[in-house]
Amino acid sequence: MRELERLLARINWLGLGTIALAFALWEISLRAGFAQYQNLPTPSAIAIGLVEIMSNGQLLADTSHTLLSVLVGWLAAVAIGVVLGLMLGASPMLRRYSLASIEVLRPMPGIAFAPVALLLFGFSLQMELMVIILPALWPVLIATMGAVMGVHARLFEVGRTFRLSRGEILRKIMLPAALPGVLVGARLSMTLALVLAVVAEMVGNPAGLGYAVVREQQAMRPELVFAYVAAIGALGMILNAALTGAVNLLFPAASGRLREVGA
Amino acid sequence: MTADGLGGSTEAEAGLVFSCRGASVELPHQHGARHVLDDISLELRRGEILTIVGPSGTGKTTLLRLLGGLTPATRGAVRVNGALIDGPPAGVIIVFQDYSHALLQWRTVGRNVAFGLEGRLPRGEIEERVRDALRLVRLEAHSDDYPWQLSGGMQQRVQIARALALRPAVLLMDEPFAALDAMTKATLQDELLQVREQTGSSVVFVTHDIEEAVYLGDRVAVITGVPGRIKRTVTVDLPKPREQLVTRQLPKFLELRYLLHQAIGHGGHA
Repeated sequence: MRELERLLARINWLGLGTIALAFALWEISLRAGFAQYQNLPTPSAIAIGLVEIMSNGQLLADTSHTLLSVLVGWLAAVAIGVVLGLMLGASPMLRRYSLASIEVLRPMPGIAFAPVALLLFGFSLQMELMVIILPALWPVLIATMGAVMGVHARLFEVGRTFRLSRGEILRKIMLPAALPGVLVGARLSMTLALVLAVVAEMVGNPAGLGYAVVREQQAMRPELVFAYVAAIGALGMILNAALTGAVNLLFPAASGRLREVGA
Repeated sequence: MTADGLGGSTEAEAGLVFSCRGASVELPHQHGARHVLDDISLELRRGEILTIVGPSGTGKTTLLRLLGGLTPATRGAVRVNGALIDGPPAGVIIVFQDYSHALLQWRTVGRNVAFGLEGRLPRGEIEERVRDALRLVRLEAHSDDYPWQLSGGMQQRVQIARALALRPAVLLMDEPFAALDAMTKATLQDELLQVREQTGSSVVFVTHDIEEAVYLGDRVAVITGVPGRIKRTVTVDLPKPREQLVTRQLPKFLELRYLLHQAIGHGGHA
């Protein structure tokens, strides 16, 4: 019972009320004819549409494709970003050679790669993954590099006075000290990965939630378009919450430190 | 080389842990090199506390880093147990002044103390040593806390426990109590003296506090000037165990304090 009370106390009733009010206004103005858009569905029609794609299995199939692409792409982006970020963070020479190229590549909008990826891989999952991975690795790379460069020099001296090997210094000092920064980058990258997956599915790979939005638009089912947009939003929230939960579970000390610094 | 080797072994036989002979340190700086230490000759005998006192900017920390193998000598020779220093020597641990940077903030107190032992000893023995080290600094109850949950004095005790867990032959302490309030400082000074009695470690203790240097030291070396030179070395023949109230009132203590103030250049007739 205490659990339930605490849960109820955490709910922002005023915020929920605002949302309900907005939906009500939307519904009323369309029904009463205040607003006239040929293809703007009412919230109730969208809700019915959601029930339809949920019950016929379409939503599950589309979501599992997008979820899989996001996870695979994100994991690859994190792996590549962490390795490159560690190397760049630890080696001033490597930074001198490659930082200029990074500063040129990084601000490029990742979406611009979509047609390139389409040329290279055609309408395929590879195309979608390339569109996800390339832009999503930058936040991880930059955050990891910054975190490694920000590890206090004293910690490396502690490692030396305890006569640790280079491998031990990497494993026991550099990686854990940089971890909170890496996690911040990984979270930014997760949000980005979902956006990119949807875009890739809209313009390239004909599968998943992004393609579903386009498909229903062409089928002249606006209520389903909106239902899929809502599903994409929900997937984003679930992914973010799952990642935050996993981080708290796996790295309690790191998340404690993140809270300390207010990140 | 033969002469060096012989010199080394006689030094080891004479019970010297460290010996510096004419050591100078120049550190790279914006405009060429900066001369930090000049012609340092000093020794650390087994089991003694040597305090090094001097004003800021005279290279005290650099001297400690020289002994700890973090900074190489530009000229002269620094030996540990008769062998020339080449990197951090075994059994010699530095305790840094800035405990908050020196502790691993993502590890609990217990795991910080275990840091130097992991992979070198069986698990059971590590646990035993961590417990012993935490008992020496009276932090047994805080093994599962994180450093950032502790006060400054407690964090510095964690760093000292981490060093003690290795059972080092030598502790090199760089103004370890400088950032602490007077009461905590007095408590930790007495803890350090007790720990030394129990472990027999040799200690080099750097400070800018003359009273602290006299209270803790078996000998005090005064370092002054830029580049820093050892101006004089004084033997502290105060009775042991030392006690905060009694020792600090002894005429001999006051005499030594006066002497060291003069040596540092306070009072105008150094």
